[in-house]
Amino acid sequence: MIPALRNAQNQVQWALEFIRLVMLLLCLVGWVMYPLELLLLDHWAESWQSKIPFFVAVPGFALTLWVLFDRKTPWVRWAFILTMWASVLTGVLGAYFHLLWNFEGEVAWEFEAAMEAMAGSRPVLAALAFTHMGVTGLLAIYRAR
Amino acid sequence: MVEALIKAQTEEERVLEFLRSTFLLIALVGFAFYGMEHWVLDHWTESWQSKIPFFVSLVGFPLTLLMFFHRGKWVRYPFLLWMLVSVLTGIVGAYYHLLWNAQDAEVSLWSLKGFLEAFEGSRPVLAALAHTHVGAVAFVVGITIRD
Repeated sequence: MIPALRNAQNQVQWALEFIRLVMLLLCLVGWVMYPLELLLLDHWAESWQSKIPFFVAVPGFALTLWVLFDRKTPWVRWAFILTMWASVLTGVLGAYFHLLWNFEGEVAWEFEAAMEAMAGSRPVLAALAFTHMGVTGLLAIYRAR
Repeated sequence: MVEALIKAQTEEERVLEFLRSTFLLIALVGFAFYGMEHWVLDHWTESWQSKIPFFVSLVGFPLTLLMFFHRGKWVRYPFLLWMLVSVLTGIVGAYYHLLWNAQDAEVSLWSLKGFLEAFEGSRPVLAALAHTHVGAVAFVVGITIRD
């Protein structure tokens, strides 16, 4: 991303590469801050599911950093895209399971019960932060040749 | 945004307008969802500070929506200003969540142990930065637009 911004020839190219670069930088900050917050909130528990966000964040950070300097190497691009999709999926599944586990007693997909589960101890929308980062990463590399 | 996307002449222009529109859409969804989440979590309390995120979303959402249909300077400048307000709201929110958590736990925020304890308190610290994130994304989109 950085070499592309430096080599931008006109206003359109510059704006395009600037947006891509800033979005990737925001992602990079996210890859550090979200696992840090999860660690502080004791999300690394005994269950294997609780460790998933950490395992996604490590390659997420490394590949995002790499793509900032080199987006031409095919295997790096593919690894980056695959990791971003994994992050999208992690967020969606995380939100779903947070909501599911917040139901007290029987799972009832009714408005009132679902809203109560939304306000439960496991944050539902917060899990979607991983989806947000994944989507941002995918958009940043979209048609970036 | 929509008009610029339709009228894009080259591949680069199309990608640029597509990315601008999509990131703006993400910001729009963010303003709607964060407002909703705050409501569900009973963030609207008696204190005036607790209402700030709602006001930011309430103005941010229509301004962002307007940008899809008109991005002249009369819309763009207030939009950019409001996105900076959103960025600031997130930062100030995170700081005060941390501060009030520290006060509740009766620890000093200026020591590592106290900081970590405050971080784990009942008020989510990094979650407040969601407003900063949404504001920053939309600001970057808006700042690259020329008349």
